[in-house]
Amino acid sequence: MKKAFALLLALIMVLSLASLSFADSVTLNVVTSYGGDDGNRGNFEAAVKAYEESTGNKVNDGSATSNEEWKAKVLTDFETGSEPDVLFYFTNADAEPFISAGKVVSIDEIRAEYPDYATNMKSSMMAVAADGKQYSVPSSGYWENMFVNKAVLEDCGVAVPGPDYTWDQFLTDCATIKEAGYTPIACSLVEVPHYWFEFMVMNNGTVANHLDLPQSADDAVAAKWAAGLNDIKALYEAGYFPANTLTASDAETVELFNSGEAAFLIDGSWKVGYFTSNAADLNDFAIAFVPGKGERSASEAIGGISMGYFITRKAWDDPAKREAAVAFVSQLTSDEVLSTFVTTEVTALVNGASPAGLNALQESAAEANAKITAIAGAVQDRLTAEARGDLFANVQNVVTGKMTAEDAIASAIALN
Amino acid sequence: MNSMIYKKKSPLLIFLIPAFAFLLVFLYYPFFQNILNTFLQIGGLGRAPEGLNTPWYENYQRLVSDPYMRTALKNTLVLVLCTVIFQVGIALILALLVDTIRVGAEFFRTVYFFPIVISATALGLMFNLMFLYKGGMVNQLLLSLGRLPYEVKPSGKVIVQWLDWKDQAHFLFTMFLPVMWQYVGFYFVILVTGLNNIPEDVYEAAALDGADGWKRTRFITLPLLRNVLCTCLVLAITGALKVFDLPWVMFGAGMPENQGWLTGTYMYDQTFNKMNVDYGSTIAVLIVVLGVVLSNVANRIFRPSEDL
Repeated sequence: MKKAFALLLALIMVLSLASLSFADSVTLNVVTSYGGDDGNRGNFEAAVKAYEESTGNKVNDGSATSNEEWKAKVLTDFETGSEPDVLFYFTNADAEPFISAGKVVSIDEIRAEYPDYATNMKSSMMAVAADGKQYSVPSSGYWENMFVNKAVLEDCGVAVPGPDYTWDQFLTDCATIKEAGYTPIACSLVEVPHYWFEFMVMNNGTVANHLDLPQSADDAVAAKWAAGLNDIKALYEAGYFPANTLTASDAETVELFNSGEAAFLIDGSWKVGYFTSNAADLNDFAIAFVPGKGERSASEAIGGISMGYFITRKAWDDPAKREAAVAFVSQLTSDEVLSTFVTTEVTALVNGASPAGLNALQESAAEANAKITAIAGAVQDRLTAEARGDLFANVQNVVTGKMTAEDAIASAIALN
Repeated sequence: MNSMIYKKKSPLLIFLIPAFAFLLVFLYYPFFQNILNTFLQIGGLGRAPEGLNTPWYENYQRLVSDPYMRTALKNTLVLVLCTVIFQVGIALILALLVDTIRVGAEFFRTVYFFPIVISATALGLMFNLMFLYKGGMVNQLLLSLGRLPYEVKPSGKVIVQWLDWKDQAHFLFTMFLPVMWQYVGFYFVILVTGLNNIPEDVYEAAALDGADGWKRTRFITLPLLRNVLCTCLVLAITGALKVFDLPWVMFGAGMPENQGWLTGTYMYDQTFNKMNVDYGSTIAVLIVVLGVVLSNVANRIFRPSEDL
């Protein structure tokens, strides 16, 4: 009996090993920002499933929500040799550490073996690294603008902001909304102050000079940044942010807006999907315009293409994974798949995307985008992770008066 | 055969060397490398050092002058104190109570021990929901008891002034409560085991002498439990110094307004988020020093009695 059992076990082991040896399927480790409550999470899962079914390969999905902690973790993974095979990540200064370390493969190198790789993309819209080479295949772009809760505005007798919305009008509206018992602005200043930072900086400069970085704590750009931070401080002191803005998570304040307790929310195109899934009535929401001040018009916004797919050197040098990684990126950046990710965002597709069946909020976004007169990328993307983390961590100190805006900027410059 | 083993010591080495090598590679080498890292300039995990800091003891200077580090140290020491008083104290009371009941002792042992087996992340999320600002369980309870002020606007809209359990006035309570709650069961089980080891005939003899109730606890149970209690206290103090996961899940990076740092969370933030590996290493050295000093002090104060 024992002998028979031992033989059976041995047989199972041999068959298992044999199945491993002859298996053609490859397991790809993929990390993207399509995790958590990302609006395109469902589309990403569907695209991955289609890839697995068409190739027989498996995908280990390590996706997470994009924030400073996630960015730091990705960089740490590269530095400790634990990088994924395919990475969907920011294409700006954030990617320079692993690009300069030679940890990802350039498009040219991939095309030497796979000539059709990423040929459906406009080369002029693909990010160029500091060494002059292109490394990533862009996915959909993004825009940042003002989401409004129309039901709240209507209850307060405030009109939905148009492309000529001014800062003074905005302050008057905030006072009215607060008086009516609502929170004017849904924002967690401790977790996502960057949305307001970008627009407040642009409000104290122009769309043309928005991407300038301060070289010293007392130059003109630093003064513009300080004025922007002080505008946020003024809004905080007026009580226009949620009472717990310094302890609330982004999810909490977004839910405050979603549940009809707050009127304004600055967020990005990725949040449209969140409201599509979670809003009780999409008709209660619209995409409007962030109030303009000085030389900036409310019709000028933040946007661009900031993320793309990288194939790591580790996957490229692995004969088993090279083809699987190329096929994965090609499939997820194909015209058909990208069209499912895109509703109102810009893409680098040569033929353009063809999104179908826009809902009320997406149509509102399309209408707002049609009225946008100029666009600039996010200036925070030009900062190193350390400088950016320091600057945004100090926003809470600035609004509570523990630190001056000038000192917060000086501290960030020292780390950039 | 036995005498052979004792005479020939060399076989012992076969068993000792692998364990020693393991400790050497995974404990002592990283520990001394970590000390070395505190003098170097390292801008990210896995990155090569960019030379010595100027001055080479720069991180130790910063450690002394860093206000967030002082906050972290203060909070950690308060946590240690709370751990000793509440974690071990409540565990002792529960153990004494359970020891007196005849039916259901097993049930209570399981119930009190249960939080230990739940992951800190899950507990953190659960307590986050309980202490949620708008609509959290605790705030809803307070509202239903009429303990939260509210205002009715002319439009009929009710504005409730929810209590922010994570603000500067409440964060220590909100941060420490789950930590206390999670580990009470651990010390409870140790203490119950200690109580079970006290011979029944001692109690019987005391009963014949007329000792009962509080006297029995004061003069028999507590003195005979002293060694177990000492072990619990040392474990609680050293454990409190290492607390990281629950506070990190609930409060992240120093919330509120950089007042919520613990030595563990501050070290993690500097190393992994701020990419300041050398300063993170310096904080790690301080944690080790603190652990050694406090556990020695605890050992001296609560030294187990050799008579027991």
